[in-house]
Amino acid sequence: MNQDFQLKLQAYLDGELTERDTREVEAVLAGDPEARALLTELRNTTDALADFETDLKLPETRDFFWSKIQRQIQRQDTLAERPTPVPFWRRLLIPTGAFAVLVLVGWIGFKSFGPASDTEAAVVETFLTDAGAMTYRDEVEGMTVVWLSYPAENEFAEFE
Amino acid sequence: MMRPWSSTMRLACLALAFLIVTALAAPVRAGELKLEAILIWGTDDEKSPDPKHKAVDSRLAKKLKKMPFKWRNYFEVNRVKFNLAEDQTQKIELSKECKIKVRNLGKSTVEIYFFGKGELVSKISQSLTKDECLVTGGNAANLTAWFVMLRQVD
Repeated sequence: MNQDFQLKLQAYLDGELTERDTREVEAVLAGDPEARALLTELRNTTDALADFETDLKLPETRDFFWSKIQRQIQRQDTLAERPTPVPFWRRLLIPTGAFAVLVLVGWIGFKSFGPASDTEAAVVETFLTDAGAMTYRDEVEGMTVVWLSYPAENEFAEFE
Repeated sequence: MMRPWSSTMRLACLALAFLIVTALAAPVRAGELKLEAILIWGTDDEKSPDPKHKAVDSRLAKKLKKMPFKWRNYFEVNRVKFNLAEDQTQKIELSKECKIKVRNLGKSTVEIYFFGKGELVSKISQSLTKDECLVTGGNAANLTAWFVMLRQVD
């Protein structure tokens, strides 16, 4: 007699089997004294414990009682899923930080890829009759050179 | 466990710190220029006859050597630093014979007057942003040259 049959025997005793299973169990019981002995033992145990069961009566209907439990479980699940509230200053920090990053990226981009220089050409005026001026611009070095072509013997050339 | 937005917060803090530092580094008075004028002597000689002259710093020498000049060596004769508020003019004596007058026209534009022996010889107007420099030069005796470099300094 295996465990499945023992469980089925208990179900038979409790009246939980279908008609077909009941017939099967009764057929086994008819030819198996060991099964009959177990059934007797189970019946005696059930009878012995029957007097100890408290007759618990619910103050509401069975469906209402279980629906309350179900609602309570759902409420607890909802609370568990709800994210922890983020403080106001942190919520503000994220968009502010993103804006600052955008400004920074824009500034770096403008400095790197924007116009090389908005430097206008030097405007040169000379006040000596025999003088000339030539302007040279080096964009890479950011340098503007103005060459004043005074004669070397000019007084201005004697810079010391 | 690290929160998912903590890296964003770090990046944001870094960006804010950068902006604050940049703002603090801005000039105290709007429109004021901190300028530096350097009188330079260009020559092919290895040494200057004047022991007070020193070779220009390597960075400046490198810049000058990239220019279409023929001289191999450059010596610093004098260096003057000065502040110039907007619309203000200042006269600078770089040597006994070389004087300049600089005027701040605003928007980082300057006007420079060159004087030789007290006589006005030239006037130059130029936008002079922080990365820019203006070099004015001319022939000097014995196939040498003089240069006046004007630039903004921190």
